[in-house]
Amino acid sequence: MSAVETQEYAPVFTGKTLERLQEILTRYPTKQAALLPALWLVQGERGWISDRNMVEVGEVLGLTPAYVKGVVTFYTMYHQHPVGANFVQVCTTSPCNICGAEDVVKALLAHTGAKELGATSPDGQWTVIEVECLGACGFATPVLVNDDFVESVTPERVPELVRKYK
Amino acid sequence: MTTLTIDGRSVTADPDRTILEAARAAGMSDIPTLCWYPKLPIVGNCRICLVSVEGQPKLLPACATKVADGMVVNTESHAAVENRKGVLRLLLERYPADHLRNGGRVSPRNEFEQYVVRYGVVPTPVAERDLALRHGDERPGDPMIRHDMSTCILCTRCVRACEDIQVVGVLDVGLRGEHTEIIVGADGDPDRAGCTWCGECVRVCPTGAIFEVMPRERFTPEQIRHPAKVVRSVCPYCGVGCQLDLHVADGKVARVTSPDIELNTPNQGSTCVKGRFGYDFPQHRDRLTRPLIRKGWSKQRGRWAWQGASGPDRRGGPWRTIEGEGQTEKPAGPPRAVGKSVRELPLLERLDLDIRDRGATPPSWYEPFREATWDEALELVAQELSRIKRERSGDALACFSSAKCSNEENYVMMRMFRAALGTNNIDHCTRLCHSTSVAAMQRALNTSAASGSMREIEEACNVIFIAGANTTESHPVFGAAIKRAHERGATLIVADPRKTELAARADLHLQMQPGTDVALFNAMLGHILARGLEGKRFVADRTRDFGKLRDSVRAMTPEVAAKITGVPAEKIKRAAEIYARGPNTSTLWAMGLTQHANGTDLVTALLNLMLACGMIGRWGAAMLPIRGQNNVQGASDMGAIPFVYTDYRTVKDPKIRDEYARAWGVAPESLSLNEGLMVTEIVKEESGVRGMYIMGENPIISDPDIAHAEHWFRELEFLAVQDLFLTETARYADVVLPGSSFAEKTGTFVNTERRIQLAHRAADLPGQARGDLEILIELSNRLGLKTPHRSAEDVMREIVRVTPSWRGVTYERLEGAGLQYPVPTSDSPGTAFLFDVRFPTADGKASFVPVEYAPPVELPDETFPFVMNTGRQLYHWHTGTMTRRAAGLDQREPTPIMEIHPADAAALGLGDGDPARVTSRRNSLTISCRISKRVARGQVFVPFHFREAAANLLTNPVLDPYAKMAELKCCAVRIEPVD
Repeated sequence: MSAVETQEYAPVFTGKTLERLQEILTRYPTKQAALLPALWLVQGERGWISDRNMVEVGEVLGLTPAYVKGVVTFYTMYHQHPVGANFVQVCTTSPCNICGAEDVVKALLAHTGAKELGATSPDGQWTVIEVECLGACGFATPVLVNDDFVESVTPERVPELVRKYK
Repeated sequence: MTTLTIDGRSVTADPDRTILEAARAAGMSDIPTLCWYPKLPIVGNCRICLVSVEGQPKLLPACATKVADGMVVNTESHAAVENRKGVLRLLLERYPADHLRNGGRVSPRNEFEQYVVRYGVVPTPVAERDLALRHGDERPGDPMIRHDMSTCILCTRCVRACEDIQVVGVLDVGLRGEHTEIIVGADGDPDRAGCTWCGECVRVCPTGAIFEVMPRERFTPEQIRHPAKVVRSVCPYCGVGCQLDLHVADGKVARVTSPDIELNTPNQGSTCVKGRFGYDFPQHRDRLTRPLIRKGWSKQRGRWAWQGASGPDRRGGPWRTIEGEGQTEKPAGPPRAVGKSVRELPLLERLDLDIRDRGATPPSWYEPFREATWDEALELVAQELSRIKRERSGDALACFSSAKCSNEENYVMMRMFRAALGTNNIDHCTRLCHSTSVAAMQRALNTSAASGSMREIEEACNVIFIAGANTTESHPVFGAAIKRAHERGATLIVADPRKTELAARADLHLQMQPGTDVALFNAMLGHILARGLEGKRFVADRTRDFGKLRDSVRAMTPEVAAKITGVPAEKIKRAAEIYARGPNTSTLWAMGLTQHANGTDLVTALLNLMLACGMIGRWGAAMLPIRGQNNVQGASDMGAIPFVYTDYRTVKDPKIRDEYARAWGVAPESLSLNEGLMVTEIVKEESGVRGMYIMGENPIISDPDIAHAEHWFRELEFLAVQDLFLTETARYADVVLPGSSFAEKTGTFVNTERRIQLAHRAADLPGQARGDLEILIELSNRLGLKTPHRSAEDVMREIVRVTPSWRGVTYERLEGAGLQYPVPTSDSPGTAFLFDVRFPTADGKASFVPVEYAPPVELPDETFPFVMNTGRQLYHWHTGTMTRRAAGLDQREPTPIMEIHPADAAALGLGDGDPARVTSRRNSLTISCRISKRVARGQVFVPFHFREAAANLLTNPVLDPYAKMAELKCCAVRIEPVD
């Protein structure tokens, strides 16, 4: 027996999402080559990528579940756990750290209620993580809230930032 | 050829070879390797094989660098050795190696530690390290394979073995950097990742991070690491005939490995789950250790007489009939321990003994028997067989020989029945296997075996056409070879009513209605002829009666066939064109074609297709009926069938009879000139058979319409059974003789590609059990037939004398990969493929035999709306006598199930695991459902391994007119939920 066939599972690739995948597949020489964008589609739809999603992606693209898992776990930007509605990434690489990135992280954790890095706030709204270099050393500390890039964040600006996305 | 110097020695090698291959071929095996493994893709990631090459500024990987003329290689230069120490030191930083710190004498536990010791690397203490030991998916609760990833060195051999040898892909590398680990599927569950428990990962792991569970629970680490001996044997299961190395400790098989991959063995180092983990049944406590005689037999004045009950209770006992078992409630599957680390599991939970005993012999079955001495038992058997011969005739006796027993045993058995008892009533399970293939091949080509080899499928064929064979479950090692061929680019076409693993990955899956194969093949052939794609020269030069064939298929257009088979006409046409264009097409089939009441016609239609396209007699164009049992080919070759002596020489010819009479030292008249009865004819009231001798078969589970068969066996005057266990058949016997398992005997076996292989005795016989050959020799002598043979090799010498195509066979020559017969002379290398010049018919040509489509005997109707198909599961073997007593296998499939399509199940209100009642025109049984899209709508699949839900209670005993095969694959049934 291969994949479990009886468990209730709502597939990601139906309707519009399936159409988008098919459109993506036309741009690649093989199905395997479309794995990364296929995973983005899943994360876009579900917010994160579950083990069962990986099996589905494997079935759709003709890859083994282990192979898909290997790719998902290799990259840091695919979420393997549910994350908050707002996903905050703070640069804590050396230059930003010198300019006080650690305090920005502390402030973010306190004001969002997420409490620790990688955890989600009890209201399900916030997840904060540290990242390496967002390429904006001149505007320390840069913070990425979802897809929005915010420069020169200080602990003082954090409450306003959090309010904006609530 | 390229000439280079390795460590001062001049070595020549093919220019395609790597430095490593050249060195090993020259007998210099000292270059260490970790990530490299034979047959696996080269990744060169471990860097331990780096060597110095003169003129190169840096060290080069020996495993990935091709040889070049004039190259000067130093494998143990200072730089190379220092590099290896560095590699080992780095790997040891994550390896629990405190036991290697003791200095002085250190005993390496595995391949990796051997290098650590060899290069004198001292690991830092685990407690002083920064990095924690590695972890990863552990397969907790797994009955056969577990992981302890703290010793993983990430060589990725397991990943590549799973992906590239077995073509499954359960394992991969997950995460990154210091967190990198080996992962199992997406969620750590091997089941969901498609694992088949073949153990290829166990075989290739150099550190024991992936390990077998069973040996560790029964034997000490010392016994496993240093077995008393390692003995070459042949797997006791399917017809692939994998060679196995049995590791022996304490007189028992402790562990199974597969021999060196470079040998030209059928399995090239691989095994499936049954071969690697199904070896423990000989140690099961149910093993018979003393002869048994039914209470009621007693000896008076020098003769045995029956004093017990007469009538229906004569063979009674405190058990349910198989029919009765069929009605019982079925237990649910066992709970599996999940989510716990391997180290946390208590010993008992690791191996659930209750589950192991589910298919075992209930103690009450022994009640009607008393233990006896060998002298008593053999005397009684000899007396009764002789009495029935004297009072009735030799033809009132019959024998089921065994496709699980060696050639020597089958030979002595048929010699005994023919020469001492004067009857040709000797047959074995080939009747319910490939008898129809043999009938069809005899008719068309006058041959009885495969034309080609398994290896040519993997290496040379362009199109693989598989009909009615679930190869990845029934012949898994060959199934993997087919998948490798498909990966290499061969086109795969599968004709099967079920969506089997191969069907799912095939380029074309022709999912026809069961039993409509003739229509499908004739339509393919008709389309080929209409397009003029047939092999015109082959047809003209090598065949007869083509005209008749052309007329016979004209009416069966793809459109007509589409209506009958349910396969779209367009698909039939495409399959036909691919088949005919080849250029090398191999034709494979198994029980899906043969187990029908018109099986001979089904196979004939396929042979017509094959011959019309000329797809035989070349390397890459093989005709391969895939044989079911490890010696079903050999048992037939040895004449354990009713019509022929060895080498398929007819019993009807007085000249041939004289030759055998001389060889056996008997009067020619004592051998019968009449063909004997076949398995399916014997088990009938009108057969006149009153006494039977059965060796290693269990017809009460494997025969069609069991309720009838069971009744028939109870009515016999005398029944002797020679087996390992008190089987469902043996419980009705007068005398039960405890025989020997595959591990306890020396003998030869013939696999599906005509390869004669030698298995050596490894384990001790339990209690007073005796070798099967020894029992037969003694019984032959007691029956008055002079049988002076002292060993299997002795018997082989006689076989060779009376079997022209085996004349060049000796035990000495069989060591290693064995020989593919014909081996007519002592210098013949054997024959990898046949019929390159002529067929073994009178005029050297093959004949076309036109066949017409006829619908299956039982079609679904309102009362019986489903078609039931029967067959094998991956984890079980035939009547379960062996595999249900193999702990690991039985835990995987402990209870009988029926596969049913989700839509059908929903319509009937059945959920996964729900009990259902299945009823055919003959009988009914209860079984639990497994919902699966592998079966098409309107069809169900029931494996025939389980006595508590024996599929053959339901099957139809109607017979093929030529081969007397029963309609095992297709019967109409009704399905109802059970409250």
